[in-house]
Amino acid sequence: MHGLRWGDALVVTLALALVGSAFGLVYTPAGGATELVVTQAGAAPRHFPLNEPRTIGIEGAAGVTTIRIEPGRARCLHSPGSQNICERAGWLERPGDMAVSLPNRLVLQVRGPGTDFDSMHF
Amino acid sequence: MTADPGDYDRRIAALAALAIGLQVIEAAIPSPVPGIKPGLANVITLVALVTLGWRAAIAVTLLRVVGASLLLGTLLSPGFWLSLAGALAALSILAPLWRLYPHHLSALGLAVAAALAHTLGQFLLAWALIIPHPQLPLLLPPLLLAALIAGAVTGILTNSVLSDPRIQRHVRNPSTTGTG
Repeated sequence: MHGLRWGDALVVTLALALVGSAFGLVYTPAGGATELVVTQAGAAPRHFPLNEPRTIGIEGAAGVTTIRIEPGRARCLHSPGSQNICERAGWLERPGDMAVSLPNRLVLQVRGPGTDFDSMHF
Repeated sequence: MTADPGDYDRRIAALAALAIGLQVIEAAIPSPVPGIKPGLANVITLVALVTLGWRAAIAVTLLRVVGASLLLGTLLSPGFWLSLAGALAALSILAPLWRLYPHHLSALGLAVAAALAHTLGQFLLAWALIIPHPQLPLLLPPLLLAALIAGAVTGILTNSVLSDPRIQRHVRNPSTTGTG
C-alpha cells in the first residue's frame, strides 16, 4: 500500500507493544490470595492459610460446609444449600473472591497482600 | 490559495455533518461488546486535520461529539462524557504527532495513535468516575486490541480518502505543515 511512512511502522510497533504489555500486566496473577477467611454468624472470623492442600469442614446451622484448600486458592466442595450457590462460586483465587452459604450463614473469602474491595454497587 | 472565512466554516460544517452521520449510523449497528466499534468518524477528524489544520480538527470533533449526542439523545449522559473524553484524548495525542504528517507519518500512524488514545481516555474516565471497580482493568487489554485493529482499518481508509485527487488538492502543502 502506497503512502506509508517509517513513522507508521514505529507507531504500530509501539501500539502492539502497549497492547501486549497491557495483556501481560493485567492478566498476570499478581499477589494471589494467601489466606481464607471464614466468617460465620455468631462466631469470630477464622483464618486459614492457603499453603498446603487439605479439606476442612465447617459446622453450620444447616449442616457441614466442606472446603477444599490448595496453595493460593480455595473452594466450597459441598454445602447444604439446595441451589449449590456456594459450590458454583468456583475456585476463589483473586484476593476478594468470595463464596456464600446462606443456609449455614457462612461467608468464605480469600484475601491477599492487597486490600481489594469485594464489590461496589451504585 | 487562501480560503475565506466563510469557506473555511462551510468546510468545517460539512466535515462535522459527515462525522455526525457516521457516528449515528455506527450507533445503530449492534455490537457484541459495549465499547467496541470501528470509529469511522476518526477518518473525518483526520481529514479535517490534514486538509484544514489543527483548529479545524478540534472544531469538527467537538461538533461531532455534541451533534451526534443530540441526535442519539445521549447529551450529558455517561455515554456523552465517555465520547468526549475519548475525543479529547485522541486530539491530545494528535497535537504532537500531526506535525510529522506527511513526511514521517501517514494517516495510518495518526489513526492508530488516536484510536488507542481514545480508548485509554474513555477507559480512564470510566474507571475514575463512572465505574470505579477494581476489576475494571480486566477489560482494558481487549479494548486496546480492538482499538488497534479499528485504528489500523480507519487509518487505511483515511489514507485512501486522502489519496483521492478531489481531497488531495485541499491537503496542505507539505512544506508549510510545520507552520500551521
